[in-house]
Amino acid sequence: MSNGSLPLAGVILLAWGAVYLVTQLITAPPLGTGTTVLIGTALTAALIFGYPSALRGPRSKRSAQPVSTRFQQGRQSTTIAAVGRSMPLRSGLTAESARRTVQLLQPLLSGAAVAITDREHVLAFAGPGSAHHRSGEEVPAPTARALNRGRTVLVRRRGQLGCPDPACPLRTAVVAPLTDGNRTVGTLQVYRGDGALSPQGVVEGLAGILSLHLELAELNRRQRLAVDAKLDALRAQINPHFLFNTLNTIASKVHTDTEETRQLLVRLSDFFRYVVRQEGHFAEFGQEYFFVRTYVSLEQARYGERVRVRYDIDPQVLTAHVPVLIIQPLVENAIKHGLAGKVEGGTVTLKARVDPLTRTTSIRVADDGVGIPSELLERISDGERREGGGQGLSNIAGRLASLYGERYRLDIQSTEDGGTVVDLQIPLG
Amino acid sequence: MTSIVLLVVLLAAVGSVAVLIRPQRTSTFEFYLAGRRVGVVTNACAICGDYFSAASFLGVAAAVYASGLDGMWYATGFAAGFVPVVLFIAAPLRRFGEFSIPDFLGRRLESHGVRLASVAIVQLIILAYLVPQAVASGIIWELFIGRGLGGMSAYSTGVLVSTVAIMLMVSLGGMRGTTWTQAVQFLLLLAIFLWLAIIVVVSGFSYTDALRELSSRPLANPVDTGGGWRLEAVTNRLHPDSAAFFGEPGGQYSQLGQFALILSLVLGTAGLPHIMNRYFTSPTGTAARMTTVWVVGLAGLFYALAVLLGTAARSVIREVAADVPWVAELTTGGILRVPEYALLVLGQIFGGRAGLALIAVGALVAVLSTIAGLLLASAASWGHDIYERYINPRATQAQALWAGRAAVALVAAVSAVMALSVRPETLTGQFPSIVATMVTWAFVLAGSALTPVFILAIWWRRTTGPGAVAGMLTGAAAAVGMGAAGVLLGDSAYSEVLLTPTVFSAPCAAAVTVAVSLVTRPPQDTDRIWVRMHGTAADRRAVRIARLTVTGLGRRGGERG
Amino acid sequence: MRDDGHDLSLGSADEHDTPAEVDAAFRTLRRVAVGHVAVFAGVVVGVPLLTAALDWWSQGRLFGGMSPMFAMTAFGLYVFFFVLCLAAATLSNAVEERMLGGPAREAHHDEEGTLPP
Repeated sequence: MSNGSLPLAGVILLAWGAVYLVTQLITAPPLGTGTTVLIGTALTAALIFGYPSALRGPRSKRSAQPVSTRFQQGRQSTTIAAVGRSMPLRSGLTAESARRTVQLLQPLLSGAAVAITDREHVLAFAGPGSAHHRSGEEVPAPTARALNRGRTVLVRRRGQLGCPDPACPLRTAVVAPLTDGNRTVGTLQVYRGDGALSPQGVVEGLAGILSLHLELAELNRRQRLAVDAKLDALRAQINPHFLFNTLNTIASKVHTDTEETRQLLVRLSDFFRYVVRQEGHFAEFGQEYFFVRTYVSLEQARYGERVRVRYDIDPQVLTAHVPVLIIQPLVENAIKHGLAGKVEGGTVTLKARVDPLTRTTSIRVADDGVGIPSELLERISDGERREGGGQGLSNIAGRLASLYGERYRLDIQSTEDGGTVVDLQIPLG
Repeated sequence: MTSIVLLVVLLAAVGSVAVLIRPQRTSTFEFYLAGRRVGVVTNACAICGDYFSAASFLGVAAAVYASGLDGMWYATGFAAGFVPVVLFIAAPLRRFGEFSIPDFLGRRLESHGVRLASVAIVQLIILAYLVPQAVASGIIWELFIGRGLGGMSAYSTGVLVSTVAIMLMVSLGGMRGTTWTQAVQFLLLLAIFLWLAIIVVVSGFSYTDALRELSSRPLANPVDTGGGWRLEAVTNRLHPDSAAFFGEPGGQYSQLGQFALILSLVLGTAGLPHIMNRYFTSPTGTAARMTTVWVVGLAGLFYALAVLLGTAARSVIREVAADVPWVAELTTGGILRVPEYALLVLGQIFGGRAGLALIAVGALVAVLSTIAGLLLASAASWGHDIYERYINPRATQAQALWAGRAAVALVAAVSAVMALSVRPETLTGQFPSIVATMVTWAFVLAGSALTPVFILAIWWRRTTGPGAVAGMLTGAAAAVGMGAAGVLLGDSAYSEVLLTPTVFSAPCAAAVTVAVSLVTRPPQDTDRIWVRMHGTAADRRAVRIARLTVTGLGRRGGERG
Repeated sequence: MRDDGHDLSLGSADEHDTPAEVDAAFRTLRRVAVGHVAVFAGVVVGVPLLTAALDWWSQGRLFGGMSPMFAMTAFGLYVFFFVLCLAAATLSNAVEERMLGGPAREAHHDEEGTLPP
């Protein structure tokens, strides 16, 4: 709240002051009240809506530019480069993306019809003859050759096209294969009705661009799978030492304090239920906070007074969505690496804030423990994988990068014997 | 005829609601669950019944009648008083869960001194609140019966009769301030206001036209100038060189005076013992919080009606004053000499003798329900906090009860004596409504002495017993001292701030509490106290047990059926 | 369906808050309360104070003879109080629900089947 709202409040106050000055004191006779209030309100509204975007700066191009606007540009300029930029096949080879692609391509190849197929069916068709060449049909005969050979096939005669309709205006075709790296997954087909062939180079070039898009889509998919796998691994990989220690703690209290034992068991079951039950990559901060509390109370049972914790949480942050299993590992690091090595113990502070103007959630985990030696800190900052740190910072950073791209910040500051501060800023979701 | 039908309909509605929300003999468990639905509204109505005294029923309309917009600050302050309660007090107070304010402060700060000091303050507040109620009953008697008994004036008779009646009721143990009776009393008050508002509007009263007409000439009120009454223009406190108008500020308060009054009322509500005691009966802290939200809504409705009626009275009474002899008798130049009569006269104009009786009954209900709440709070504080704890720790239930009754009789008698020494006409020139003004003093005392300490004790860990005692005494001394100075100085420039000194005394009390707390040692167990006061474990357990029990009951019922 | 009789008796006692959790909820609630009180104070002080800055506030006419200030004092403020209290109470309840205690544990015993292999 604090870093964005206060300046805004000041600016609005100044604006009203200026409005008052101009309309009431400088202007003679003064303007009517209604007009003044209207001007002030309009100015305030403009400031409130304009301010956040000014503060955030221009958004990153990749995420913010919707496909449709690019698509429009491509249509107007009708250059092949536009097709390359708009990437209609970015989400893979589907009927929808194929339809958008052929609509984009067809005006580029004047007078011709364009089709995209996968290995069995026509996914989309645009141009003359679309009345009987419909998407969803079996691929025409020449396609199989292109698919099998993985090379461009030229069809010069009408009979070879395999079109059963005698009134079909299409006479020649160029069929170029589409690949997603190593497999041929479909074809790009360009027909003409005037007897000439479409330039083979242009069609192959287009097919090459589209293949690149498909390859990127495949890469994206694999990356997502990899992140999923990482999260699954994290879920499965609760530190066994933690479990042993907690069970030992509980066992040692069974006879002396049954009530506390029961509470600890309930909390332990809460802990595991959360890990197992959590689905997807995001959860409400309130749920993650519950998980952190559960974890901390289990650690406190073990360490006693040596581990103290202080939560400082904005009311608005509770409903914000945050990546799952990010905060608890940060707190665990603070306890395990920061406080456990310190005889007199210390305090972990978890601070969570929301800035509605810049639309960021900031989370800070700080401890006053032993700190991180500077050369180790450097290695951690460089993204090197730490030994023994299965839930190390590099893992967290990797997951954040795959979820947010460049739109997150993870800062670590540490002084030896002075404690460590981990600052995390992510977009408010 | 129409008005009678309307009245019957409204009373029937109150009756049916009363039957709907009547206490049913069921298990505590079901009470918890019901507490989340019906109980919240019922308890909210009960708090309103306790809260809306003669000051709200007659006083707010009277203040609006006398000074227009500036009289409305009373309504604003009374309604706003529950906002700090929602935000700061309701839920933690209920969760800590003791019997009374002294009990709460004593346990929270682990100090006997705090308990004794707060009992003294609580008694003082109750007394300050009782006197205006007695004054109001005197005024009602004066107008409705019109003559005294046994050589006393009508006013004194009213005061004595009401005091004796209440004393008898409480001492005979016939009055149990149950949630339900208080709730029904509030519904009755609301129905009376609705009835009056509807017939006033139906008979052709237009809010906006009346305002235009009233604001077309300067505000003037009757003043007793030795020889007789005559109308005198009200000075505008905001712009002394121009006249005051009904629909504009300045008729009663300067800029500072407005804030002083509003702040006094806003802070005062949180320290009223009979209101705060109600919170201990809520099933959970969350329910206590939602109850207060309801109270804010109901109070808003009630005061909006009171303001409308005050405006209507000013407009209507002036129109009919010349033609109706009995109205002319009470007025000078079309304006009532005692503004408290406003609603009563309005009732008689529209409803005849029955209308007057209805308003009088409403006012009496308001007075009685408030007095009952106050005396019960007083009895609880004497009997529970002092007698049982210090004088006779092994007292039986009956002994404690008798101690409480004796205390009640004493307190009621003292308040009657103080009310008798007040003559409403002698003070009207100084204040817009004597009843509302006197109630304000109780609010000032509560807001200065109790509320700051209360809020600090709930929200600041370092608060200590000695700090709280020092704060309470400072607040009370500042409030009483400045109030007395204000009365003695009379109509001076500072009198309005001196008479509503919370704006000064509450910060003083808070500062003293903080300063003394910082140099003394806080209670050892703040963690445990905090878990009890701000944690919801007990609430969750209660709700959970209730839910499980009801499920169990339902299942068993299902098997049986 | 398992008989949940003994689960109920165990479940009934396991509500428990730790001091650190309560302290966190306490400070968040204090922030909610202080924020709302600031708005409340601003409006309550603003309504009378606006007269000094803006003649239209007390002398303008909105409906017939009613000035904006009169309308605000006669109805607007009550609506504002109610809305403010409702907002504050709802937010406070939501904060307490999320910051103290866990998600409802009614579903304690239906989990064996959902565990991943």
